[in-house]
Amino acid sequence: MRVIQKKVCMLGDFAVGKTSLVRRYIEGRFDDKYLSTIGVKISRKTLPRGDHTLNLLIWDLAGGDDFSRVSASYLRGAAGAIIVCDLTRHETLNALSYYAEQLRTLNPQAALVFVGNKVDLLDERVITDDELTELSDTFGGTCLVTSAKTGERVEAAFQILADLIEAQQ
Amino acid sequence: MEPRESRTHVPPEKQEDPQLQSVRSILLAQEWERIAALEEELKQLRQVARTQQERADKLEQELERLRQEFKEETESLIPRLTAQLSGIISRTIQNSKHEMAQALAPIMGEAIRAQIRKSRDDMVEALYPIIGSTVARAIAEFAREFQRNIDVRLRSTFGPAGLWRTLRARLRGVSPSELALRDALPFAIEELFLIQHETGLLMAHSHLRESDVSDSDLISGMLTAIRDFARDSFGQGDVEQELDEIQYGDERIIIVNGRYAYLAVVITGVEPEGFRYQLRSYLSELHVEHDEALRDYAGDPATLPDLENSLTQLAESLSAESGPKPMGRTQKLALAGGGLFGILLLGVACFYLQFTIALWPLAFGQTPTATAVIPTATPTSTPSPTATLTPSPTTTTTPSATPTATPTNTSTPLPTFTPTPRPTNTPPPTVTAVPTSPPPITIGAVWAFTNPTTESQQIAAIPANTPVQILAQTGIWVEVSWTDNNNIEQRGWIPLQWIRLTEPISPDIITPIPGS
Repeated sequence: MRVIQKKVCMLGDFAVGKTSLVRRYIEGRFDDKYLSTIGVKISRKTLPRGDHTLNLLIWDLAGGDDFSRVSASYLRGAAGAIIVCDLTRHETLNALSYYAEQLRTLNPQAALVFVGNKVDLLDERVITDDELTELSDTFGGTCLVTSAKTGERVEAAFQILADLIEAQQ
Repeated sequence: MEPRESRTHVPPEKQEDPQLQSVRSILLAQEWERIAALEEELKQLRQVARTQQERADKLEQELERLRQEFKEETESLIPRLTAQLSGIISRTIQNSKHEMAQALAPIMGEAIRAQIRKSRDDMVEALYPIIGSTVARAIAEFAREFQRNIDVRLRSTFGPAGLWRTLRARLRGVSPSELALRDALPFAIEELFLIQHETGLLMAHSHLRESDVSDSDLISGMLTAIRDFARDSFGQGDVEQELDEIQYGDERIIIVNGRYAYLAVVITGVEPEGFRYQLRSYLSELHVEHDEALRDYAGDPATLPDLENSLTQLAESLSAESGPKPMGRTQKLALAGGGLFGILLLGVACFYLQFTIALWPLAFGQTPTATAVIPTATPTSTPSPTATLTPSPTTTTTPSATPTATPTNTSTPLPTFTPTPRPTNTPPPTVTAVPTSPPPITIGAVWAFTNPTTESQQIAAIPANTPVQILAQTGIWVEVSWTDNNNIEQRGWIPLQWIRLTEPISPDIITPIPGS
């Protein structure tokens, strides 16, 4: 069977849950111990897609307080990205547009999925669905809320991204 | 407390007015009672304290006694427990080896570290028998491998590769042995990756050794990330400056960059000369042939040509070139054929050289410089003297060479000689000498001239060993007569040095040269 590879990136501020989402998606579990992301970690997820297999090579990029710390080199050639914010920290929503613009500058056709993570923390949530949708619409992307801790909609986020990437071909 | 007690024991009312005393009694009665109660309580507490002190003393004595007993018990228990514990530990190690190792490993590690810090020399001494033999074994294995490589190199020394290596060494200013030594160092290609620059997507992968290929796409991604990181960090983003090598342990990753894709080759040992050049050439050709496919690659291998096969061929060819291989049957036959051809060529060359030198005087009339070949005229073969009185040489002398059969490559071709037999006007020389000595003979093929100078006309070539009769001499020239192959008598001038005399020339026939 034909195997198609696609590079996708995980973007977002520090400690929004990028690595946890990847780990939950790839390994199907959640590790409560927080692992600070340093540099780049690349993971692979194989998705059967009818007549072919799609290999998503997920570049989990270290997020920082300063956007410029994410190297543009890492974003080159990405077919899409999941841009993550922390629903309990409003400032992480503001950073999403920077990441999206940066990626679109390098790859105008890149598919974007905006994810509000940590939806399990209901009492602490400060970002609303409307805010996330508004931002997503600005970039023509798709948005959803997830929880890496419970696994809620994590699989769906990556499936949506895969669908968007293949739809653009 | 003492001042209060003194006040209690010596009440002031005794010295004072009774009325005042009674008033005081009324007013202070409660306080006095309270003081009395407190004094009583204090007394009791002192009693309790004394009791407690006594008890503590007793307890301390008891504790000391127990300590003493424990000490005695422990000392007596150690020998008994040691025997028991040794058995228990031995059984545990035997039954749960893995668990024991797991439990002891951290302690052992820490203990060894502590001991090394405390007494490094002692540890070195203790570990030397183990580490020394391990190191020696590793070195011996390396030496054996090295020796095998050198042996193979030596076997191929006389082959084309050996000659080429020698030439390369000379050109580069090192000795062939040094180059052979360097080539003998072990080298192997483990894996090759062809990776797209921008995305880090794997385009093709080849591995010559057993390896886990399932993560090759992840490896290619990480390699790309490392390259990007190095470029951003150290190259100030300059695309011309790229990471070209990564080393980890015994293995190295050689990276060769192309426009749209780069090659990453995992190797062990020292790569041979020109290795990177070959990789670069391959990559360059790949870009020329498949420029668009490489540029537009978006993860679908169907859009690429058969790069896997191409990469495998490259890996095999690079491995074949780098490693010394014993000669095959075809190579040996070719080498033997080449050797025979060389010997044949050498023989022809010698033959040709001999004739060239032999004919030199005929062409130029000068003394040949290559005197080593001249003795073919066998100066020792002196014809046996005949008893006949016939002074003319016999015609049975076979010339060793004919001028017409000798090609020449000199810039001055030999003039065509047409033998023109002409009767001599001079009568045959009168033989006056006693024919006891053999006639003079030519010691090589030599041209005869009409006059004693090379400027004059050539008459004919006199073959070597031709008996001649000396008619006259002028300087270094002698006029001789001889009988040619057609049995016609000829005469002409030749240099004296081409004649082996059997007796001195008669002074009667020597024409003196003025001034000589």
